[in-house]
Amino acid sequence: MFLSVSKPMIDQPQETTSGYSFQTYALGEQAVTLAFGNEISEETAEQISSFKELLSQNSFPGFNTTVSAYTTLTVFYHLMEVLTSDLVGATCFEKVSNYLHQLKQTTYQSQAISKPIITIPVCYDEKFAIDLQEVAQLNKLSVNEVIEIHTAARYRVFMIGFTPGFAYLGGMDRRIASPRKSTPRASLPAGAVGIAGNQTGIYPLKTPGGWQIIGQTPLKMFDIHRDQPSFLNAGDEVVFKSISIDEFNQLSCR
Amino acid sequence: MQIEMEICIDKAGIQSTIQDLGRYPYLSQGVPISGAMDTLSAKLANIAIGNREDLATIEFTYAAASFIAATDLLIAYGGEGALLVTDELALPAYRPLFLPKGALIKLQNNNHGARTYVAIAGGWDVPTVLGSKSTYLTAGFGGYHGRTLAAKDRLRNDKNWSENTLKLFNQLKGTEPKFTKWGILAKSFFPEDKSIRVVPGREFCWFTSASILYFASSSYKIALNSNRMGLNLEGTAIERNKKEELLSTAVTPGTIQVTGNGNLVLLMADCQTTGGYPRIAQVAAVDLPRCAQLKPGDDITFRYISQENAEQLYMEQELDIKTLKIAINDKLQ
Repeated sequence: MFLSVSKPMIDQPQETTSGYSFQTYALGEQAVTLAFGNEISEETAEQISSFKELLSQNSFPGFNTTVSAYTTLTVFYHLMEVLTSDLVGATCFEKVSNYLHQLKQTTYQSQAISKPIITIPVCYDEKFAIDLQEVAQLNKLSVNEVIEIHTAARYRVFMIGFTPGFAYLGGMDRRIASPRKSTPRASLPAGAVGIAGNQTGIYPLKTPGGWQIIGQTPLKMFDIHRDQPSFLNAGDEVVFKSISIDEFNQLSCR
Repeated sequence: MQIEMEICIDKAGIQSTIQDLGRYPYLSQGVPISGAMDTLSAKLANIAIGNREDLATIEFTYAAASFIAATDLLIAYGGEGALLVTDELALPAYRPLFLPKGALIKLQNNNHGARTYVAIAGGWDVPTVLGSKSTYLTAGFGGYHGRTLAAKDRLRNDKNWSENTLKLFNQLKGTEPKFTKWGILAKSFFPEDKSIRVVPGREFCWFTSASILYFASSSYKIALNSNRMGLNLEGTAIERNKKEELLSTAVTPGTIQVTGNGNLVLLMADCQTTGGYPRIAQVAAVDLPRCAQLKPGDDITFRYISQENAEQLYMEQELDIKTLKIAINDKLQ
């Protein structure tokens, strides 16, 4: 159970559509985290995306940046600017919290602007898909069935974390769920597509990693030379498309 | 008006990187804050030579590094990792230092702390990457070509000269190493009590009361495998009374996580932007620089303060820094 502090603790299901529902807590002196319940869901992800958008249009003095996660949105600010602002509250945490609680009274609107679905080409060839056999065996499926299932779903980016540009994707079909490797690999190539538990994700950089690797994308998931270095952002919707090695090579040359 | 300055790295040391006060704009894309581990020492080194406090500095880890003045230099250093010497002459920290072309500056072991920050007139000139000059080694970007400094690397100063910087340079320049009679009293920024002040973390209540008490009353040791991402702490394991999993959420330098086997990790400058371990405490921002100076084997103890108190301490430090800048400005009038 998780109810907004400013509202009576009674069951009012209509509330979820009439306003945002979150609690706030401090993360250090210069950030406040908004907790939107404690369950991963499409609806929570929508609320977080939508509130982040609302905040970007209604910023406050001293606002710095935000970080989205599964059920939280963390708002970073500059303490001295908040202190000298006319926001109301005894402490800076209170000033920002009060402002955000006020902002949440705004009628919640499910994102009217539907963002395009992002297609990520993945080569599932055994050259890259070093754990595809294992994932298939674990789930009593054929390799092709795993690829079909992985490319059939529509995924949601719940969070970017771990390394720059690493997107945690929710919405994977449980039929291909697989535990992490018992020993993480010392080095995975940039673009490796993996499965861990019920999640799938792409390694943007050459890093160590413990996920089961089922393919590789030729896209640069993180590139400091782009305006937006991360290819994916929290809230994005994603599908995977199977490509051949030839197509992979063509795309990676670009 | 600015004067071009350059150094050449002679010995690179254990881990020497360019760091400013960090990179915030891409936190949502998983890019860590990075920046100086001991932000206070980096700020004070800059302030000592009239620089803006957020200019890039070199962060040296321990001693065993040295560099050569390829031109006349105006520098200052701060932090506890080493003592700077040239030709047997000890150079005082937190003070404007003039060094003539050709001087060899060595970082000498002082057994006090871990990190030293060298600021140069105008700041170090490296490209701004994603809004900061800080080096992020894991992804290999920022700072000096995204890597640690190596022997023969040449580093130049940037053009951010203030009037005070120029005044100091003109006051001190000559053919011999020279420094001002005054210096910043860095000690005044630190409390007498060595314990690190923390605010209870969000998952504070997930731990047994015995563990919570133990955390604030016993001492932990900095483990050998500590780095810019975090300090691993050795001591009695923390026990949980709530077994549920935490969904990953934002963390920040100063967050103290409890891992699956009950060990404590104090997150530092290069920490990931999100984490899934429950958080027992958050180090007060003003005490994080002191944590950055701890070496493997050093003891660390904690004591609880309130969120209000942590904010208050932060504001007081900001005001102290402001006062310090005014005092230096007055000195140079």
